[in-house]
Amino acid sequence: MTRKLGLRVAIFGGLAIVLFAVLLFRLWALQVVSGDEYLAAAQENQVRTARVDGPRGTIVDVRGVAIVENIPGTIVQLWPAEVPPERLDGVVRRLSRLLDVSERRINLQIARVKDDPLTPIIVKRFVKPPKPDYILENQDDFPGVRVESTEIRAYPQRRLGAHVVGYVGEISEEELEDRDPDEYGLGDRIGKTGIEHGYDRFLRGEPGLEEVRFNALGQLVRDRTQRVAATQGNRIKLTLDSELQAATELALQEGIVRVRENNDEAWAAAGGAVVALDPRNGAIRAIASYPDFDPSIWSGTREANKIARLGRPVENTPGLNRAVSGLYPPGSVFKPVTALAAMSELNATATTAILEIDELVPCPSQMKIADRIFRNWQQRDVALTLPVALAESCDTFFYDLGLRFYHLPEDRGSPLQFWARRMGFGALTGVDIGPESDGLLPTPEWRRQHYRTAVDRLWKPGNSVTLAIGQDDLLVTPLQMTRFYALLANKGKLVQPHLVAQVEQTGSDKDDPIVLRRFTPAPPQEIGLDANHIRVVHEGLLEATHAEYGTSSSTFGHYPIAIAGKTGTAEKYQRMPKGYLKSELVVEGLFDQAWWCGYGPAEPTDEAELAVCVLVENGGLGGEAAAPIALEVFEAHFGVELPDRDVEVGNTAGRTE
Amino acid sequence: MATPEATVVARERRATPRPLAVAAHYVFQLDLVLLAVVAGLVAYGLWLISSVTADDIPGDPSFFLSRQALAAGLGFVALVALAAINPEHLRRVRTPLYIGTLLLVVVVLFSEPVRESRRWIDLGFFNFQPSEFAKLALAVVVASIIASRASEDMGWARVGLVLGVAAPVALLVFVEPDFGTALAMAVVVAAALFFGGAPWRAIGSLALLAAGVALAVLWLLPANGVTVLKPYQEARLVGFLDPASDPSGSTYNVNQSITAVGAGGLTGRGSEEASQTTGFYLPEHATDFVFSSLAEQRGFLGAGLLLVLYGLLIWRGARIVGMAPSLFQMVLAGSIVAVLLFQIVVNVGMTMGIAPVVGIPLPFMSYGGSSMLASLAMVGVLLGIHAQGRLARQPGARRA
Repeated sequence: MTRKLGLRVAIFGGLAIVLFAVLLFRLWALQVVSGDEYLAAAQENQVRTARVDGPRGTIVDVRGVAIVENIPGTIVQLWPAEVPPERLDGVVRRLSRLLDVSERRINLQIARVKDDPLTPIIVKRFVKPPKPDYILENQDDFPGVRVESTEIRAYPQRRLGAHVVGYVGEISEEELEDRDPDEYGLGDRIGKTGIEHGYDRFLRGEPGLEEVRFNALGQLVRDRTQRVAATQGNRIKLTLDSELQAATELALQEGIVRVRENNDEAWAAAGGAVVALDPRNGAIRAIASYPDFDPSIWSGTREANKIARLGRPVENTPGLNRAVSGLYPPGSVFKPVTALAAMSELNATATTAILEIDELVPCPSQMKIADRIFRNWQQRDVALTLPVALAESCDTFFYDLGLRFYHLPEDRGSPLQFWARRMGFGALTGVDIGPESDGLLPTPEWRRQHYRTAVDRLWKPGNSVTLAIGQDDLLVTPLQMTRFYALLANKGKLVQPHLVAQVEQTGSDKDDPIVLRRFTPAPPQEIGLDANHIRVVHEGLLEATHAEYGTSSSTFGHYPIAIAGKTGTAEKYQRMPKGYLKSELVVEGLFDQAWWCGYGPAEPTDEAELAVCVLVENGGLGGEAAAPIALEVFEAHFGVELPDRDVEVGNTAGRTE
Repeated sequence: MATPEATVVARERRATPRPLAVAAHYVFQLDLVLLAVVAGLVAYGLWLISSVTADDIPGDPSFFLSRQALAAGLGFVALVALAAINPEHLRRVRTPLYIGTLLLVVVVLFSEPVRESRRWIDLGFFNFQPSEFAKLALAVVVASIIASRASEDMGWARVGLVLGVAAPVALLVFVEPDFGTALAMAVVVAAALFFGGAPWRAIGSLALLAAGVALAVLWLLPANGVTVLKPYQEARLVGFLDPASDPSGSTYNVNQSITAVGAGGLTGRGSEEASQTTGFYLPEHATDFVFSSLAEQRGFLGAGLLLVLYGLLIWRGARIVGMAPSLFQMVLAGSIVAVLLFQIVVNVGMTMGIAPVVGIPLPFMSYGGSSMLASLAMVGVLLGIHAQGRLARQPGARRA
């Protein structure tokens, strides 16, 4: 070997030494210097934390009686990553047969979590014994299938308050986007509607954390260990009185059945709503909507076909809470609004109102206004004071007022609508369950914007006249109407309707609970009405239930507690789809919406405790269809029954004379 | 520098040749330290494979171990055979060796692709990877071309001839694609030129050329719409410069590997607790990233021991380069040692994130029969060169 090449071998040797030194140094740096960090990273690599929902809080009525609670249930989960691929079909088939869930549904769920081995799919949420035991005993046939205990929503009072409490479901991706990622995660169960939705953050518990160890293929390496225990959510106490609620729901249902027995048309009395609230503070004591449903279809394994039914018009949309989102023309129950607006000062400069308190206004059989004939429901020609006009519900009296509103100079605006808005119409009440409708309070301005042709866009005398008796385009919800009658009952204050009284700590004594948060609604608001005007209207409503010419005297005249109230029979154009409630034809036309609204006790010295509105869809006359339902609500509230009802139903056994 | 005993044996051979004595004498001319180091490496490797792959095939914990052990056994047969012959004889078969190698790397292009690469020829019992053997064959061919020159110095023409002969083999391997082995072949050629006495200016020019090609392949040509490397190859090459660039994509493997190495700490996590390996976070934990498995399981002590063994291997190899009895054997030994060093440094560097990710097996450790066989065959050649070097220095020996 030449010396020249010897140099090259030496160079090579030097290079080799440098390279080995670099490798050893790097190895030392990684393993000895930063070894702990990488060890932590390697351990972190395997560990996934999973959120575990805490049990939800319960929902109780004003006396602490449970409306929604939890019962232990058994869920069957499938961890797809733990099933050998060639066995998956067999496992799905066996689960499908055992648990009565379609294979397609299971496979769809599996496909959804394909990229996320951490999340098991829930095959069925409420599995009754002995099926879980069968799975455990034959675990070899069910690889990757786990039986877990859980808590599911239960409804001890069955359908009671179904529209109010709402339901719980898995959070959707859109819902997740709107929420704080620290509090909500994929797979969480949240309240979707009603109280469950509105008070979700109180009802849901603090989620716990569980650790699961996975390898890179997504296979479970070590079973779950608990890091943070889940805590149960808080208890929500409603203002609802479940006894009154039950009586109200029953009265509504029976009232509707009564109407249908007298009328076998498919359109008659298909639905209805009742609201009963405390006029002193706006606390809702009962709120019913018919048809109703069993809320348990959402808990356990959701019954998709029954849930779909709730939104179907041909099934009469049982899911709709007619009390807060149903929209109806109010008809005559609106007349007190017109009366108050007519008596109130128009504005600061024009202090004369269009109706004097004791003014006699004609109540003819018919009126000709702008070449159209407007009739009263009675055939006679007299002049009446306001209380009598309210009591016998004279339409032409109020047409006259409507015409006076129409003829006001333009600079006076639209005082009827102005006052109606102040009384809560055409706006959301802000009640704590939704979705709520705001209704429609038509104004000349609205007409200009809403219609296209020049004729339609013009506010005509007919609009003012029909609005005065609660028709025209006016739409209200039963809750808005009840709130207005609560205003009459409490002598002029607008209340904030609400359903939740307070949040209580779960597990605390129901008679002496630990209150975490009390919901004090906005105090009733004076809206600038004159007490004398309200007194006159009150007289009219009391005559309406007691005078021989009163429209609901036959119902309330002999009731021991004085009830004041007004009937309403409002025409609404309805078009019901073919197949609606098994009718063979499309049903359409103008149908009477039956209303009764009132309050009691109603003697001038009394403080009213309850304001009630009843609506029966397509129910005919308010005095016949709606008033008896309202009476039953008052009976249940006061615990005082109509004395001679027994005679009516032929039961004389208890009578001494 | 012959020992007295060796001299006696040599005399006896001249007098009355006795086969057993001749063989015994020859054995003592081999580099027994190198042999011991390689035996240690192979044993270490088999032990590692057995613990790393025990759970890979459920129900057959020794699936990979038995295959690797068989390859090691065959490799030792090849080692013994090559150690027994005078490497000088290899010069005579250079032409058939070259043509055969060329044929094999062409044939392999028509094989069934495995993970989009055509590298293996299915022999039924064994998937044969020609490119591993082509490295050794190329070393023989190139060394014999360099050694057949007349003058002491190597001219530009011969450099060109060497490149011209080697290029087709390396290019064919490159298009398989087997980027790592193609690079290893470039190292074989570069080492041959280096140890063969190519002028410094030629070496410098070639280094510049290589840098220019790398620049063109990675930057200039892609910028003009010509792609030479497959996207994954380019991503891996550049990825090590910025490991955080795409942690779930092309640098995922490297990051998991670094984590595995680091997690091993000083003494290792043991084969059960090495979650990066057992949990399959570490990709290719028995082949390209077997070093990471070792480092995680056995820590700095275990991985350092391996580096020490490799250090000994290279030291003994470099020593053999220096004592080779002929230019041919020196160049051959130099190429072999250089390619072993290259594979060790690039593979180990890759697992620790200081070298680009190229699919190069770690000699004696990575699972793979062809690599094991070829590596042991290379050591066999080195042992033979060592023996010839020793024999040549004994009194009365003919200069080769």
